[in-house]
Amino acid sequence: MAHLAHYREAHPLPFVITHWINLVAMILLIISGFNIHFPFWAAFEGIARGIHMFFAFVLVLNCIVRVILSFFVKSAPTGGTRRTDTDIKSWLPQTDNRHQAGAWVKYYLFLKKDHPLSAKLGVPQKLSYLLIPPLILIMAYTGLCLWGPTMNAPPFAAGLNLVGGAMMMRIIHYFLMYVFICFMFIHVYLANVEGTAPTKLMFFRREHGGLVYDPDKHAIIGEDELDEKH
Amino acid sequence: MEREAIVSEFYEKLDSRGVTRRDFMKLCGAVAAAAGIAHITATDVAYALEQSVIGAKEGNLYPVIWMEGASCTGCTESFAQIETPDPATVVLELISLNYSETLGAGAGWSFEEAREQTIAAGNYIFIYEGAVLEKWEGQALRVANEPGIEHVTHTAAKANAVVALGSCAVNGGWMAAYPNPAGAIGVQQCLKKHGIETPVVNVPGCPANPEWLEAVLVDVLFLQQLPDLNAEGKPSLLFTQTIHDNCQRRGHFENGEFVYQFGTREEALGYCLYPLGCRGPQTKANCGITRWNNRRSWCVESGGPCIGCTTANPANSNENWVETNTPFLKRHRDLRVGDFRLSPTTIALSVTGLLAAALVIHGFGMKITGRMNGGADFEKVRKWDKRHPDRSIGCYDLSDEECAALEAEAGVAAPAKPVGRTTAAKTGTGTATKTGTTGTTGTRTRAKTAGQDGADAAKKADEESKGGKA
Repeated sequence: MAHLAHYREAHPLPFVITHWINLVAMILLIISGFNIHFPFWAAFEGIARGIHMFFAFVLVLNCIVRVILSFFVKSAPTGGTRRTDTDIKSWLPQTDNRHQAGAWVKYYLFLKKDHPLSAKLGVPQKLSYLLIPPLILIMAYTGLCLWGPTMNAPPFAAGLNLVGGAMMMRIIHYFLMYVFICFMFIHVYLANVEGTAPTKLMFFRREHGGLVYDPDKHAIIGEDELDEKH
Repeated sequence: MEREAIVSEFYEKLDSRGVTRRDFMKLCGAVAAAAGIAHITATDVAYALEQSVIGAKEGNLYPVIWMEGASCTGCTESFAQIETPDPATVVLELISLNYSETLGAGAGWSFEEAREQTIAAGNYIFIYEGAVLEKWEGQALRVANEPGIEHVTHTAAKANAVVALGSCAVNGGWMAAYPNPAGAIGVQQCLKKHGIETPVVNVPGCPANPEWLEAVLVDVLFLQQLPDLNAEGKPSLLFTQTIHDNCQRRGHFENGEFVYQFGTREEALGYCLYPLGCRGPQTKANCGITRWNNRRSWCVESGGPCIGCTTANPANSNENWVETNTPFLKRHRDLRVGDFRLSPTTIALSVTGLLAAALVIHGFGMKITGRMNGGADFEKVRKWDKRHPDRSIGCYDLSDEECAALEAEAGVAAPAKPVGRTTAAKTGTGTATKTGTTGTTGTRTRAKTAGQDGADAAKKADEESKGGKA
């Protein structure tokens, strides 16, 4: 057992909920978005548009709520500990991440045999998660540039003018959807490739034993085998 | 009280020309409707007309110069299909069309002289149809010993306003489509380059709908003002809503009734043309209201998906409707990468497919290297820390007691009987120790980080203890 123990403190309940909302909203947005782009399922088109607009606002609100909560809710700054600190700190670079970017890349390219020590989020993971909120907002902006009721409002008309019109904006919106799809591929892959424990914790709050890490000493200090094994 | 019906001199004048009051009011109503000016009525138009140069005893009709640039004269042809008032009325009764290569009767020196005289007199409207060509030092369209580009600047400089008629005049249109060999640009861009500040009214379309031009003329002639223009210098009443907003097939769109292929039953039923690349949702114009050819029909009504011909950004000749919308029957335009044309879907699916394949291959790599079950063992010390022991991030030399105390502090393990952490590191056979239980987290066992043997032993001990419990 080489991974760190998975404790609920890593993902407090509010973040489990926002994560669920993200998952449902993104999947529905992608499916309805494909249908709006080309109505492969004709009868779904009208509903798809309703779903798309509704969940776009849900996703944006959820994103804002998640970011604001990160300043108030405490979570474990690293894996393998029940100690908690303000959540935003584990989004931003931590001492545990320092000098480890290269190590992570090498590890995933099989150029490094042992697992890099890390914060709750590794360097590439942290960078990609930090990109998600701005990406959601940009995505929403491009969407509102294309939505009838908002397309003529000055902030959106200016955007349309900037990118070269509604067709280019549609293509940007379309490409950004693939950025989300690619992110989800990588996210789901990396979260599960070394075992399903992280997923079980994130979605169902099931804990899992493993190595114990100290966020102050930045080192592994032992091992904790929980009764419950998965 | 004596009441006397007074017929104005204006109506007597009309009567003498065979125009009844009813005819006149019908014309005014048509003008108001055609202009799409919601806030003025036929009565307003009638009043304005009476007060205008047309109703005046003295003065001239508003002079107009209508010049062809790099055009197909399609906009003129389109204008010839105007219904009410008919083209002859517009040309002969409402304006004084002093110069028009297509509609004018004159030719040669005297014709050009008429233009010069109109320019010299000033107070005229300049309608320019077609693109301005910048290549060959602006010499293209050279007429009457004057380079084409000078015709534009020279005529526009003194005009009250320029009407850029048709998408070519707005930003080069299809003339400016890749590779734009003639350097086509729109009138507004050309005037800006030459520092001419005459206001430009952009009326896009390929061709422009005649009623749009008429709407502009109505505002200028009768209301003595330019229409309200949007950020692109287009009359906002005509170019704010999309084709989709006013489309008669919109109901089928809402119902999810689409034409996927020409020649099918769905096409015969007049369903929505969206899957065939219809640009209605992103094209701003009121074609569905004004319609075309004596208001008989228009593109979508006659079965053709909108191809977005009014898409024209006057500030950017690359954002012309042909570049933006081809291939017309696809939902997206093609993107140009060098000499290749690729659809956005091809690009997106290729990148995503490559990524998916890379992840699958990576997964095999993870399997082969035995990382699938919990990942590789953790590094004992960060590489950077090893190289910079004086500035090390982590504390790797904690004693067992210290470790146990930290664990207890973190609430993940009860104080345990110390296991020779350093011993384990040395021998690689750190023994697992039983620990007490705390809270809800169950039995805990401490073992050395990289001492896998120790960890295995710990697991074993743990399993045994559980077996005992069971």
